[in-house]
Amino acid sequence: MIVFLQVMVNGILNGLVYALVATGLSLIWGVMDVINFAHGDYLMVAMYTSFWIGALLGVDPVLSWIVSGAFLFLIGALTYKLIIRYTVGRSAISALLATFGLSMFLKNVCLYLFSPNFRLLSKTVLGGKTIETGGVIFPVPQLVTALGALVVIVLVYYMVKKTRLGWAIQATAMDKEAAELMGIDTERIYLLVFGLGGSCVGIAGGLLPSYLAVHPEVGLLFGLLAFVIVAMGGFGSIPGALFAALLVGLVESFSGFFIAPVFKYVAVFALYLLVVMVRPKGLFGW
Amino acid sequence: MNKVSSRRFLAVFAVVVLLVGTLAGAGFAEEKVIKIGTLFPLTGPVATAGQRCRAAVETAVEVINNSYPNMNIPLAAQEGILGGHKIVLVHADHQGKPDIGKAEAERLFNQEKVYAIIGSYNSAVTKPASFVAEMQKKIFMCGCSSSAALTERGFKYFFRMAPTDKTESHEFVEFMKWMNETRGSDFKTVGIIYENTEFGKHAADEGKAAAKDAGFEVVADVPFSPGATSMNSEVQTLKAADPDVVFGACLGGDYTLWVRTMKELNWLPKAALNYCTGYQDPMITRQLGDDANYFSGGMGYAPQFAHLMPDVAPVEAIYKEKTTPSVPFDSDSIQEAVAMFILAQAIEKAGTLDYDTVAKTLHENVWDSPLSLGGKVEFAPDGQNIRARSFLTQLQDGEYTIIYPEEFMQAEPVVPMVPWDKR
Repeated sequence: MIVFLQVMVNGILNGLVYALVATGLSLIWGVMDVINFAHGDYLMVAMYTSFWIGALLGVDPVLSWIVSGAFLFLIGALTYKLIIRYTVGRSAISALLATFGLSMFLKNVCLYLFSPNFRLLSKTVLGGKTIETGGVIFPVPQLVTALGALVVIVLVYYMVKKTRLGWAIQATAMDKEAAELMGIDTERIYLLVFGLGGSCVGIAGGLLPSYLAVHPEVGLLFGLLAFVIVAMGGFGSIPGALFAALLVGLVESFSGFFIAPVFKYVAVFALYLLVVMVRPKGLFGW
Repeated sequence: MNKVSSRRFLAVFAVVVLLVGTLAGAGFAEEKVIKIGTLFPLTGPVATAGQRCRAAVETAVEVINNSYPNMNIPLAAQEGILGGHKIVLVHADHQGKPDIGKAEAERLFNQEKVYAIIGSYNSAVTKPASFVAEMQKKIFMCGCSSSAALTERGFKYFFRMAPTDKTESHEFVEFMKWMNETRGSDFKTVGIIYENTEFGKHAADEGKAAAKDAGFEVVADVPFSPGATSMNSEVQTLKAADPDVVFGACLGGDYTLWVRTMKELNWLPKAALNYCTGYQDPMITRQLGDDANYFSGGMGYAPQFAHLMPDVAPVEAIYKEKTTPSVPFDSDSIQEAVAMFILAQAIEKAGTLDYDTVAKTLHENVWDSPLSLGGKVEFAPDGQNIRARSFLTQLQDGEYTIIYPEEFMQAEPVVPMVPWDKR
């Protein structure tokens, strides 16, 4: 029973981190119909930001996520201003190719600046700490990262559903022209959504160096899982992303332990294919 | 012709003469060059290791091309080989991908016209890349790819410097038996964790075979996808089986994640013995800090072996200038330098660039190799260096310390490993 609970805890903790990474992608995708191919690389940039703040200034990831979140808001907003803006209204492939180019750019800049070396913060406030309850171990770095992710997701969801800004975002997502007729500055909304999307992944990336090594390829699998989660949860649905991310985390954890570790991503992608076949708009899609 | 015209004519003539002279010189210099290709993962998940391997080959070439009379290294005292031929390197990046490795090997031979290739770190890439060389009857020098399968293909132009996973697996079980007999360690069971690649799978196969042959029970077989976002399932599987000894084949960032996840899940085997992996990377072990201690692994070189290999130091000084950040040779990169030195020695001894003659020379001689543990390189008909050796080391206080074989032991092995909560 303890083993079962431990596997479940690991799955939930991982799933919550995936959820925060996917929430940013879901927002951008849901509101703007833009597939941000550079989303995984945003995570990598955020991890580097947090790592260097830790390595050079001695600030722990428990605090530096604030800077990574803000920095990635800026990167997201700049991405919109300098790249995405020119692809709005054109074929969907143009935004996809543009963000693919951005992905290559970010990866190679980091490769050039920081080399392909794996970088790990040796001493962190949370590093190596655990909480044990009834034989089940909660690794503190993962626990804090997961709780942080949950708080941010709830805040983003509240903002979208309960504030005037959120209503404006929803209106823009539903019908851009109608929203403009209502006086909503859709250009500003797009800018904000891209910034917010960046911020979500920035916060996740800011927290991850507590336990994960940083290197230029680190965002690859996270980015891929985020796409799977958004497609499974339903485009633009934050509860959908949260539910799908938890599902991915649990499937990964249970199949990894009870079938074989090497099978865990096979199970995740098989589940994705199943959901896409049975319900192409995703579990919470509309 | 007036004075101005004749001056102009002279000026033009001088320029033409200089230009012709320069081009002729360039042509002459071009004839005195032997192009060697390097094929390593310069980008991708194990790029750090690949870049160090490249720097090691560059270091060897610097020693071969220039005169270092004070170095006790073959070819160091002279400049170049074959009567002044300089070696020029052409670098290629395979990104850790076998298909790219094969294509780059073809490009290096067919377009860049390199004489031979040195590479490729990842066994999975070395396999197809060396196949390209063999098909063209050209030489492939392999430094550190450790899959035993590479030298079981009957290739005639393939030569490998490092010990194989098979050799290391036997060393692991010999150590376990010795510990049982002399230290009463009571090792009975083995678990194996490995990346699901050519390298990892072969290492695991050799490890399982060696453990079974020696009478140990393999209770956990844990492959994983490299570059995973977490290794909870993998460590939990090991923890549930609770083997006495774990054989590890985790490269780069996966190694750090494996170690840290074991700490988080508060579990350790009595001993963790690593193949040629993240354990041997001094930078990774430094970043892991105290958590890296008491893990073990086979090593062909570490700065702590300096007293056994005194001639490495001056070569290592050059290598340190070529790496950013500056690092000493590691167990893998030094084998790539050995590959370059041995190839150059063979060409020099053969006195020709004819492939069959050089390959025959490589096979028929025992080579001086101050950069190799044991000091000699000798190839079996399958291309494996039968003089390749490694010591079993354990990280103690952040230092690679020889714990086996007994005659070279620098400190008593810490077995069982010190538990996480007692560090």
